[in-house]
Amino acid sequence: MSRSIILGQYLPGESLIHRLNPRLKILTLVLILILLFTLETYSALAAFLAFALLLFALAKVPFRYLLRGLRPVLFIALFALVIYFFFTSGGIVLVRIGFITVESEGVIEGLFIVTRLAALVLFSLLVTLTTTPLSLTHGMGYFLKPLRYVGLPAEEVAMIMSVSLRFIPTLMEESQRLMRAQLARGADFETGSIFRKARSLVPLIVPLFVSAFRRADELALAMEARCYRIGAKRTRMHEDVILPRDWAVLAFVIMLLFVTYTFGF
Amino acid sequence: MFIGTEKLTHTYMPGTPFATEALQDVSFNLQQGEFALIIGPSGSGKSTLIQHLNGLLRPTSGRVLFEGIAVGSNKHELLRLRRRIGLVFQIPEEQFFSESVFDEIAFAPRNLGLDESEVEKRVNESLEKVGMQAEKFRNRHPFRLSAGQKRLVAIAAVLSLQPEVLIFDEPTVGLDAISRKNLYNLLTALNQKDGLTVIISTHHLDQAAALADSVLVLNQGRLVMAGPAENIFNKRKQLYELGLTLPPVTEIMHELAEKGLPVKTAVYTLQEARGEIKNMKRRYKP
Ligand SMILES: Nc1ncnc2c1ncn2[C@@H]1O[C@H](COP(=O)(O)OP(=O)(O)O)[C@@H](O)[C@H]1O
Ligand SMILES: [Mg+2]
Repeated sequence: MSRSIILGQYLPGESLIHRLNPRLKILTLVLILILLFTLETYSALAAFLAFALLLFALAKVPFRYLLRGLRPVLFIALFALVIYFFFTSGGIVLVRIGFITVESEGVIEGLFIVTRLAALVLFSLLVTLTTTPLSLTHGMGYFLKPLRYVGLPAEEVAMIMSVSLRFIPTLMEESQRLMRAQLARGADFETGSIFRKARSLVPLIVPLFVSAFRRADELALAMEARCYRIGAKRTRMHEDVILPRDWAVLAFVIMLLFVTYTFGF
Repeated sequence: MFIGTEKLTHTYMPGTPFATEALQDVSFNLQQGEFALIIGPSGSGKSTLIQHLNGLLRPTSGRVLFEGIAVGSNKHELLRLRRRIGLVFQIPEEQFFSESVFDEIAFAPRNLGLDESEVEKRVNESLEKVGMQAEKFRNRHPFRLSAGQKRLVAIAAVLSLQPEVLIFDEPTVGLDAISRKNLYNLLTALNQKDGLTVIISTHHLDQAAALADSVLVLNQGRLVMAGPAENIFNKRKQLYELGLTLPPVTEIMHELAEKGLPVKTAVYTLQEARGEIKNMKRRYKP
């Protein structure tokens, strides 16, 4: 079982941040993201970054997870920096290479955008690191609920999301098992041209599909046997209760953020 | 030394909060032509150990040795090695992927690059070996066979590699008594007639006990006992503490011996037990 949780980036823990109600965690994240998008001063941004780091420390997330989380946006960040450095004019000229110049406005704005991007990623990362994928989908399902009135089957969408999440690790395990079984029977996935390697994957894909369909069938049967009906109102084993503690955290965060936001430093 | 390990340690997902030490400092060696048994409760590391023996898993530390050479020292070497050491996984029929029994069994010889006539020959031989008529079964769909037949096809699919060592991970799980008996007959034949080195793992000692030359006992990732079968099966109490019971007939013989009757306890089949008790009755004068 423990193996299936590793999907996504969830890091088990016992900190306050881990235990916060997932719905409120998502709500708080959205608030923070909106504020991040609208703030305009370096001092406020710095305060947000500091706050993010503080939360990471509170959640006891090792530093390397933070770096690993930032890696995927590195390329976008570099790209943005280049654009801003070379194509924004204004302020004093810092560097001149032929007819290309880097001016101070561009540097200031570019760094601001990139820092903001990092802050956005860090806050989102914090939520995915401290919330199980299942609670996350439940939380999101909750916010989808109002969409029922425009015809979106919110409960079912949430169910589809959590079932898919449940099966990703299973399928990954299965593909590994198949690969090993075929390796044991002399298959060669490693040597030869790319074309050969790609062709050697065909006998892997067929049984994966077969077993995915078989599992889907079995699951549907098991769910029906336990009286799952589309459109029926469902209750949950783990009630999603919001404790006073959760409200207090939310209130605190909102206050803190508005103070930083309004007054800068 | 033919095949074995030196201080083999394996950790799944090292460096994460999910790290599990599945094997710790396991060292043993087996001789060519032996019938070896790896026993241990579920989760003791049997499957992990077995997958190291043909290089499917790489040691976290320590080495796996085959004919004195470390397994996995290079890619092409590894490929050749996997073709000499056949491995039948736990519940192997779950890994079928072909539309016919023929294609399923032909997968291995085709990987060896043999031409179609040779492939055909190997498929027929392998089916024959596991006691299935090639003509009758070659075009059947592998998923639509009985449980016992599926298992045999899965074994034939590895035999068609013509390996020198055959490793089975819990080969009798999920089989009925008859299929189990047939399977053990097949394993005996492979070991004694064809001279293959056979290694099987199990968490449940049954007829397998009668076949073993040597036994490795795993518990929580450690090798807790190793040696000739007779020596290991004599340590009934220790095995019992690990949650391993001897075959029922052997248990009975032990209990008779404890009651003071002069019987041999290294008896693993009903037939042997019958003979031993008859002998004892002739000798015993209370
Ligand atoms: N792919 C894997 N990832 C993580 N842990 C694993 C994996 N496979 C096995 N384990 C763990 O390693 C230990 C030994 O497992 P295994 O070798 O399958 O034992 P056995 O075959 O004796 O039942 C168990 O604690 C198991 O949970
Ligand atoms: Mg196992």
